[in-house]
Amino acid sequence: MSATIYRHEFLARLKSVISWSIALVAIIAVFFSIYPAFADQATLLNETMTKFPPALLAAFGLTGVDLSSVLGFYSFIFLFAQICLAIQAGNYGFGLVSIEETELTADFLVSKPVSRMQIMNSKLLAAFTSLTITNLVVWLSSFAGIMLFRGGRPYDLHTLLLLLLSIVIFQLFFMSVGLVISLLVRRVRSVTSLSLGLGFGMYVLSAFSGLEGASTLELITAFKHFDPNYIIQHSAYDTPLVFLNVGITLVSLVASYWLYNRRDIPAVS
Amino acid sequence: MNIFLRELKANLKSLVIWSVIIILLILVGSSKFSAYYNNPDLLAILKTMPAAVIDAMSLNAFNLTTITGFYGLMFIYFGLMGAIAAAMWGSDIISKEERDKTVEFSLVLPVSRNEVITAKALAALVNCVAFVLVTWAVSLVVAQPYSPDQGFYSYLALEMQAMFIIELIFLAVGLLLGCAMKQYKRSASTAVAIILAAYFMSILSGLQKNLDFLKYFTPFKYFDASALLSNGKMGGIYLLLSGLIILVCVVAAYFTYNRRDLYI
Repeated sequence: MSATIYRHEFLARLKSVISWSIALVAIIAVFFSIYPAFADQATLLNETMTKFPPALLAAFGLTGVDLSSVLGFYSFIFLFAQICLAIQAGNYGFGLVSIEETELTADFLVSKPVSRMQIMNSKLLAAFTSLTITNLVVWLSSFAGIMLFRGGRPYDLHTLLLLLLSIVIFQLFFMSVGLVISLLVRRVRSVTSLSLGLGFGMYVLSAFSGLEGASTLELITAFKHFDPNYIIQHSAYDTPLVFLNVGITLVSLVASYWLYNRRDIPAVS
Repeated sequence: MNIFLRELKANLKSLVIWSVIIILLILVGSSKFSAYYNNPDLLAILKTMPAAVIDAMSLNAFNLTTITGFYGLMFIYFGLMGAIAAAMWGSDIISKEERDKTVEFSLVLPVSRNEVITAKALAALVNCVAFVLVTWAVSLVVAQPYSPDQGFYSYLALEMQAMFIIELIFLAVGLLLGCAMKQYKRSASTAVAIILAAYFMSILSGLQKNLDFLKYFTPFKYFDASALLSNGKMGGIYLLLSGLIILVCVVAAYFTYNRRDLYI
């Protein structure tokens, strides 16, 4: 761990952290602000929906998403927050060490009296700190949004905490998968394209997860691992999928250290 | 011509990756769809559901028991993927020269800046066309087991045209960002901001009646899958709006790139 690298990495990302945090606060605030009006309409809809047999509603994934309830609506917002968090974490992961090669500073860095382990540790820790700041902002704005807009409707604190606690694992997933991919390829050209592809690609793959019918392909997406609908419906995580998620993260991290330690760093000619 | 061919080759990998993502999406979707195909119970329940519920759940009055309804549901995701891919291609193809420190080299070649942009834009355009064609072809293959009728083929064709126009809009926006932004990093991050903002606006505009005006600001709402199905054509005003955005962005891209100071 090198304090200098940590500080440099952290400061380099500060502006990006601030932009993402502002964006997330804005998204959460805008979506919450329409909740009071929406909840009244949705209550009416729910009354009509109770007439349908539960089995058929389940077929359309309608049982879990009572949009009139605080958490039902929040799960909807949470999914969009997840998209942003995934792209942000992917950005940091893909760019973590590849940026040095793109900007031709990699040979400079590795010639410093720090081991590659130390470089990786400091960089990962700095990126994790940045992600955690954004995470905290999501926590705060979610609580603030619920306090301001729930209008006396009840909500289950335990489930809300489960949702919010999933963010950190979710971020680590995208960061480490991004990192390992960036080390597996010979050269990362555009960090943003890759993280958008990973983030939105996984989002659309999970888009149909509310529908009935199994698809093993779906299991590769982290959005499915932390499906807010599932968490709210069951007030618990889908444990096997969370383990799968954590497993992928750990394997990616270990592989990243291994790959980075033996990576051929091109010198600038 | 050399620049065009060089860019086509350089972007091939990216095209392959995006094609794999869209193929995965179609496969996941169709495996879900097989549970609904020709399921009369669900058909009955869909008919009795109030339209507001269907809107809120973005089932969009589509009958998921038919292949046409399924592709109606898929359209927004096709549009989203096309938009992201096109915006990235557009901004990257210009800004990468500065990132890779090759911009001085490409601009000392005996070609004008206009020619550089034209060749690059055409290469990105070819990518967009190929992306739509891949989506189209895979959709046709996946649909075969469900014995699609003539209506399905013409609806799919219409959807693919709409997807292509969404791609063109975002390609033009991406090109403009690549040309106008002083730092290469900023063009990609601005593109992300625009895509996310457009997508969230398209969701918001569907949630509430008084936010309906947002639909003019987000290309994802220009071509609504259910409107495409019921009208059988694209909305004139939206086509005009799309054309306007594309024209303004392309003209501004040429204009700014010709007089910009390069970031080296």
